[in-house]
Amino acid sequence: MSSEILLRFGLAVGIIVLGAFGYWLTNQHLLGRARNNVFTLFTKLPNKPVIVYFTTPDCAPCKTIQRPALNHLSNVMGDKLQVIEIDATEQPDLARKWGVMSVPTTFLLDARGEARYVNNGVARAEKLMEQLQTL
Amino acid sequence: MASQTLQKVDHSALKTNQIIIIALNILAFILNLPVLVAFVALAMGIGSALKIPGFGFVYKSILKPRGWMKPDVLDDNPEPHRFAQFLGFLFMTGGYVALFFGASALGWSLVWLVVALAALNAFGGFCVGCAVYYWLVRFNLPGFTKQPPAGTFPGMKPKVGASL
Repeated sequence: MSSEILLRFGLAVGIIVLGAFGYWLTNQHLLGRARNNVFTLFTKLPNKPVIVYFTTPDCAPCKTIQRPALNHLSNVMGDKLQVIEIDATEQPDLARKWGVMSVPTTFLLDARGEARYVNNGVARAEKLMEQLQTL
Repeated sequence: MASQTLQKVDHSALKTNQIIIIALNILAFILNLPVLVAFVALAMGIGSALKIPGFGFVYKSILKPRGWMKPDVLDDNPEPHRFAQFLGFLFMTGGYVALFFGASALGWSLVWLVVALAALNAFGGFCVGCAVYYWLVRFNLPGFTKQPPAGTFPGMKPKVGASL
């Protein structure tokens, strides 16, 4: 009986860990692709944190949540932050190279152009600020 | 878009409900207790009938009065959340029936599906059942009339001060 409980406990932990690991792995893959494609955006590094923001014209949460959040960050951080907005419908090759699967997607690059964070879906201003503070 | 009145929805009560559902379902799986699955399904069913979160009483009578969890009251539509709970109830009932008839893999898969969706809602702020509700509104189905709060993606937790 107890061995069965132990086995099922292990299975439960395994399922949870597998879910979390799958999510982490997907993000690492996306960050790897972003690192390999940084120079598709810059010829010269901007020497400050950059948010690369993928959107499309028909993306409602981009307009209502993501864009205002990025505007807020730009206002707060001024020229200490660069935001690059990319319309995935206008530049589908770029979106594919960066591994963008949905919009909005935001990548946070540090001053050396290293992709450090990726947010699939809406990322609120507070979350982006927390991530920027660790860069 | 027709105007509508939003109501005050305490998302802490919803979150408590989701976390208890997650915990009890995982416990049911570990202890191999289909009866616990039935209990969760029953609580969600009663909650759906009474239009309250099935385990909301834990928040209302224990967590909130003791200050262990603070209210997170937002302008929102309660209907999509009720619908989401009802969908969860259906999955849980399906899971229990499958377990009752010995289809363990199917039964526990349905239970884990509810766990995954509840976790997405509790920790990711995205309510899949609510998104399905708003999607069904497009088909003008009777009873599905509410629009997401302004500035809120269907299924996402509303922003503070959202209105329509």
